[in-house]
Amino acid sequence: MPALPVMTKILLANIDKPDQASIAKYRERGGYKALEKALAMEQTALIDEVKASGLRGRGGAGFPTGMKWSFVPRNTNKPTYLLCNADESEPGTFKDRILMERDPHMLIEGMAIACYALNCHLSYIYIRGEYEFVANTQQKALDEAYEAKILGPSVMGKDFALDIFVHLGQGAYICGEETSLIESLEGNRGYPRIKPPFPATHGFLASPTVVNNVETLAALPWIVQNGAAAYAAIGTEKSKGTKLFSVSGHVAKPGVYEVDLGYPLLDFINKEAGGVANGRKLKAVIPGGSSVPVMTAAECEGVLLDYESLLKAGSMLGSGGMIVLDETTSMPETLSVIADFYAHESCGQCTPCREGTGWAAKILKNIIAGEGKRSDVDLLLKIADMMEGKTICPLADADVMPIRSFVTKFRSEFEDLCSN
Amino acid sequence: MPKFTLNGQEIEAKAGQTIIQAAEDHGVEIPHYCYHADLPIDGNCRMCLVDVEKMPKLTPACTTLVNEGMVVRSENERVKQAVRGVLEFLLINHPVDCPVCDQAGECRLQDYYMVYGLHTSEIPLGMKVRKRKVIDLGPMVVLDQERCVLCSRCIRFFEHVTETGEMQFFGRGDHVAIGTFEDRPLNNPYSGNVVDICPVGALTSRDFRFKCRVWFLHATDSICGGCSTGCAVRIDHRDGAIFRMIPRRNPEVNRSWLCDEGRLSFHELNKTERISRPLMKGRDGVQAPVTWEEAVRSIDARLKEIRAANGAGSILGFASPSATNEGLFLFKRYVGDQLGATQFDFRVDSEDKNVLEEEDQILRHFDKHPNSTGAIKLGLMSKELGGIDGAIEAARAGQIKAGVVIYFPPLVRRACDEEVEGRVFELIDVLEYSVVLAAHKSEWQTAASVVLPVTPWSEEEGTYTNFEGRVQFAGKAIDAGGDALAVWEAFAMLLHASGAESPWMSAEDVFASLTEHVPAYREVTLDKTRLPGVIVG
Amino acid sequence: MIQFTEEAKRRYQTILSHYPERRAALLPVLTLAQREFGWISQEVAEYIGRLMRYPPSDVLSVATFYTMLHKKPAGKYHIDICKNVSCWLMGVNPCVDEIKRQLGVERRDVTADGKFSWDTTECLGSCGTAPAMQIGDRYYENLTPKSVAEIIENLRNE
Repeated sequence: MPALPVMTKILLANIDKPDQASIAKYRERGGYKALEKALAMEQTALIDEVKASGLRGRGGAGFPTGMKWSFVPRNTNKPTYLLCNADESEPGTFKDRILMERDPHMLIEGMAIACYALNCHLSYIYIRGEYEFVANTQQKALDEAYEAKILGPSVMGKDFALDIFVHLGQGAYICGEETSLIESLEGNRGYPRIKPPFPATHGFLASPTVVNNVETLAALPWIVQNGAAAYAAIGTEKSKGTKLFSVSGHVAKPGVYEVDLGYPLLDFINKEAGGVANGRKLKAVIPGGSSVPVMTAAECEGVLLDYESLLKAGSMLGSGGMIVLDETTSMPETLSVIADFYAHESCGQCTPCREGTGWAAKILKNIIAGEGKRSDVDLLLKIADMMEGKTICPLADADVMPIRSFVTKFRSEFEDLCSN
Repeated sequence: MPKFTLNGQEIEAKAGQTIIQAAEDHGVEIPHYCYHADLPIDGNCRMCLVDVEKMPKLTPACTTLVNEGMVVRSENERVKQAVRGVLEFLLINHPVDCPVCDQAGECRLQDYYMVYGLHTSEIPLGMKVRKRKVIDLGPMVVLDQERCVLCSRCIRFFEHVTETGEMQFFGRGDHVAIGTFEDRPLNNPYSGNVVDICPVGALTSRDFRFKCRVWFLHATDSICGGCSTGCAVRIDHRDGAIFRMIPRRNPEVNRSWLCDEGRLSFHELNKTERISRPLMKGRDGVQAPVTWEEAVRSIDARLKEIRAANGAGSILGFASPSATNEGLFLFKRYVGDQLGATQFDFRVDSEDKNVLEEEDQILRHFDKHPNSTGAIKLGLMSKELGGIDGAIEAARAGQIKAGVVIYFPPLVRRACDEEVEGRVFELIDVLEYSVVLAAHKSEWQTAASVVLPVTPWSEEEGTYTNFEGRVQFAGKAIDAGGDALAVWEAFAMLLHASGAESPWMSAEDVFASLTEHVPAYREVTLDKTRLPGVIVG
Repeated sequence: MIQFTEEAKRRYQTILSHYPERRAALLPVLTLAQREFGWISQEVAEYIGRLMRYPPSDVLSVATFYTMLHKKPAGKYHIDICKNVSCWLMGVNPCVDEIKRQLGVERRDVTADGKFSWDTTECLGSCGTAPAMQIGDRYYENLTPKSVAEIIENLRNE
């Protein structure tokens, strides 16, 4: 068995240290040095640095962050906005919460670096409404940063003004999709927009906009401080750096863990998360939040936790919200819970998602109640085909992936619940 | 001008066109619910998905701009399957209550089901999402939320056309429903349009509901007679009765819209009793029915007597701005050219009629007559007379003895109409000899020396010239009852009786003469008066 | 006619000052309105519409999109209990039953004393400490039917 990689702690380095949420302790432990360093750099050089680091969006899509930034046109006569996506709502995901709860200044520092690089002077943290207590902590940190003149008309004494405000959502998973987040921030129903145009040119208030996830932004201080090369040295060839995984379900030690990308999946479950709870056997894993295809225990063998390996194994890294299912789990019931979620959270804007998610959820409820027919199993797959790739945003596809993977990989469990 | 390939055929699109627009221009209909030529694009229904080479996923034709060299397929199996899927989704929660739905026969769900669907429903009734039905949304519209496909056309109409924002989405997911705040009535003057643009039976017309199945109706293209805007309309009728009027698209005038007053204006035609036969006062001063031949012979003789006694200046020609150009042209031909009268006017309700004044920024004009500009262009407005008040004064002063009057009350009624009617009565009353051409019975009728029954808007074909000078053709939808003739026919008879040439056999013939004799209309052909019409100088 | 308190009016002005365009303040203002009036009634939607110059239909349309904004009265303590995957795997159903038993009302209904209402909700981001529920701005995690009963009992006596 190969030796496990030496793990670097970037995001969780200080997470358990006392009073890390205060600006005093944050600075004492080296905080805001990276921002100071960044402010002395050319903005474009900073973007190049982020590009070179190989950092990819940690919200779920994994799009290269530096490249996303470089799509923003410069010197338009419109302002540029950075929006921090803290609408963490993907079932199984609770990694951003811990960053904001315990180390909120790291996010502020990351945002300030990003804003400087993008020449953005007004920025919002869109936090899901349920996380009000998290938002309060984050707000307190913002207040401290203003007081310390890290934010405001002159960031750390430099001729660069920056305001950051917290904006609370009010209960809508779809607002984690970036164009929906923008619509919501503009005071509308969170209906995703049709792309193009992309937010990079027509985002918040029709201005150039970058939407980045909390975890993505929180990685910036370390990258600036230690250099792109140091970050790029961690992980695999295409999946660089570290990633937070929030693991839940049937494991002995659920929680948030930071591992180098490329870490073996089963080692993660067994060594980090304490293995399957109560000495039971592993049945399946949803590795990246409820939207990604489920993997059987057998499929997990030898798979590494990075974007490419999981894709090759037929699933996705997603948000890193890992859900572990033990041998006692009913797959039809699990899928029913997941399908209910997508039906509830479908915004209702476009036809296939609005109608398909609701229909699939009802069929699953029927099957579980013992009122399903065997043909319903194929009907679920047909509905998945009817939805896939035909909608404005990826929510329907996020329902398709669990439906298709659960039904095909555990078909007999569904059929056994059906009559004729 | 980008060239692209659609279903194997090379097509040239206009710059900035989307696939659906370019396809439509070339006669290829890509199925859709939410796309509407006169509303901002939304892309929500997903019916117009097409297969574009080099694009991994199917893409909506309504949101995708045509690019040079693009290869698009809207009819391959992949597209058909996607469209079938979307249609099946739209129908799962739909009540499929076609037998009691007014939209049946012109419903896009029915139409596309026949082309793409033909599937068997796989959803048991009990699984359908239930929503509210028969919600009263004011004088024009009734809402059925269950039939709605949530295309947002109505919402976008109120947001972008009337800018009143009454209709909205409420809720989320498959429970989203459209509606107004607290079911408040839609009381903006354009609310009826959402019934037309609703592709399904969710918004139906309060006026037309349950009156007639649409496949029993006959359609006639016309121009709204309700004001000087001249909106293109389609009159739907059956057995001599108009059932509804809906807009036709004229991008130059009304786009796809029609105001509510105009939409309901046809009802005005049947609110009062018609004049069915020519009536003439005898020596005893009592009106009695006569034949048209008797009437025109007598009128021509009498007017010539008056001319001989008092000169041509004593004869007044008072036209109606609601008559067709053809009617007004022969009116002028007879009263002016044949009898030599010089005093003409048509203004009944204001001294300084400004036909250009808008009532709102959308469609409506204050001038509730469809052909005021036509009357002006035919020389029927006299500066000296200054409208009906001047005519009354001149008649009182004895300068005017006789008058030929055409009178159609406006189809869109106003508060001042009673007063206007009173003035028309007064004019007829003060004239020594009056010939009145009208469709409806009214108080003034007994004062007239001769009454000739003529056909109003929708009962004769002809052209109208709108506020901006646009000449537009309106067809004849229904036959007038009784002995009524078109205005032009009445004057053709009078000209014949008067010994003048009268070669016209149809409104079309009259229009040809008009273009020959009226310089402003010289370049106009009847063809040009069809959509979008033609502006004359 | 309802109105914001003086304190809420100040808060309203502060919210407006955070955004380059007034419209962007709508969701935070609705959140403030819910705090002030308990739920987004039609009257509240109309008031906010007047205040911010939007049609009431528009305001209500936005409010009905967001599940945390109540469209009917809620109890003084509104319990949102997560029924999503991890909470379900960790046994949330008996906890839901316990809430029902304790309060004696169906979801979205309010107890006779006006103190409680409850609803199920989607993932709260407490999957590692499942099952979880939210009351006001507080999370209650690692729930068992017994702890649910205790939490409700404590609030009842508050």
